Amino acid sequence: MAQSEEIPSTEGDAEERRLIDRSAAGDQEAFRQLVLRYHRLVINVAFRALGELALAEDVAQDVFIKVYKALPTYRHDKPFKHWLHRVAANTVTDALRRRRPVISIDGLEQSLVSAGSDPQDVAARHDLQRAVRYAIASLPPHYRDTIALQAFGELSYDEIAKALDIPLGTVMSRLNGAKRLLRERLGDLVGPSEEANTA
Amino acid sequence: MTSSARPRRRIRHEIERRRIDGHITGCPTCAHELREVRELNLLLVTLPPAPPVAFAPFWLNLQAVLPQRRVLRIPWIQSYRRLGVAFAMAATAALAAGGSAFAAPSALPDNPLYPVKQLEESVRLALAPTNERLAIQLELANERLREAQVMAGHHKPLLAENSLRAFRVTVDDAAAALKNPANPKAAKEALHTLHVKLDAVERENASRGDDDEDIKQLVAAANDELDRIEEEDAIATPTLLIGEQATPRPTPQPTVRPTPRPTDKEHGD
Repeated sequence: MAQSEEIPSTEGDAEERRLIDRSAAGDQEAFRQLVLRYHRLVINVAFRALGELALAEDVAQDVFIKVYKALPTYRHDKPFKHWLHRVAANTVTDALRRRRPVISIDGLEQSLVSAGSDPQDVAARHDLQRAVRYAIASLPPHYRDTIALQAFGELSYDEIAKALDIPLGTVMSRLNGAKRLLRERLGDLVGPSEEANTA
Repeated sequence: MTSSARPRRRIRHEIERRRIDGHITGCPTCAHELREVRELNLLLVTLPPAPPVAFAPFWLNLQAVLPQRRVLRIPWIQSYRRLGVAFAMAATAALAAGGSAFAAPSALPDNPLYPVKQLEESVRLALAPTNERLAIQLELANERLREAQVMAGHHKPLLAENSLRAFRVTVDDAAAALKNPANPKAAKEALHTLHVKLDAVERENASRGDDDEDIKQLVAAANDELDRIEEEDAIATPTLLIGEQATPRPTPQPTVRPTPRPTDKEHGD
């Protein structure tokens, strides 16, 4: 699983704090620089959740608008990146809930039988992944927030704990609970396949 | 963890793993559940990252909606839009002119006229000639600290934090001028005054039973920022000794020394 891209230096931190303070005070140039730093990360989170680039860009814009409005209330006691991840994960799960999935159940069932490189199988598998993502959006909030950070944000357990300000053990138990609920809700759709057996 | 504890732990893990694997091999229910979990994990992590997105159009689209609030679009209102904008501008000007008469320079962030004071200050700063700009910025920085101190004392930490953030922005804007001031002594004194006032904000915050952690952090960050400016200033400005002229020293030129030649005396020896 991908971890955070880089560990910012102290100077980088100071520069980021400056950009955040200036953005909170309404400086759009400072905000532009913040967006430049993080737009790729936010678009990736949205894309992993929604699977469509145009939609991911729209949702990423919503994320940054929320961030811009909420910056005056942002506190420097937790890393900005973690806070941003949280806003992004919430926004994408909201977007998922607003959209109705268009998924062929026949295709999903077929994908479980064979997970080869046949284009039909690949398409069916994508549909299955989408079904899982919509199922994530329908989970209770405490499960949804935690697993969204893992699945869409690709954060580690430790990073999720920091982003949500909860202990590591709670992260693990919430992820377990979330996955158990997902398996229950997706029923037979998430079943053992050859690929999983060899994993 | 000691170096001997690590292998022991690994061995314990290995034994535990074998025990679980042994159980799963003989238990179809657990084996099925494990396969389900693995399948779900694969589904959760196998989406690729997004293809590259050009930043410029993304920012332009975002910027277009950023400062605006969602407005109700009713056609007949559109025709009055220009009139509305003109009215709003006139009202703002009237408010600025009229309000500034009432808004004492001492208006605090919890005062309804505080935005007028802010507007007044931005206009003043924007119209200031370059040689007066630093003085105004320092004055505004001091004013932000006064506000922060009073707000901290009035148990209004959020307003105090806002003033401290605005202080950082003002100091940041003035940083270049402070690092290379026309009057280094005055600049040093100004920085010292700001340090003293920051300490006063911190004391005011700490004097309360429930002192605000964010105010502490903002004060510490602001002190660091001032220190950085001071340090860079010290590097940029050569130290002057009393009585020494403030003119640049000439670059020392290498002196050409003549090759020693034997003197008559030496010849004589």
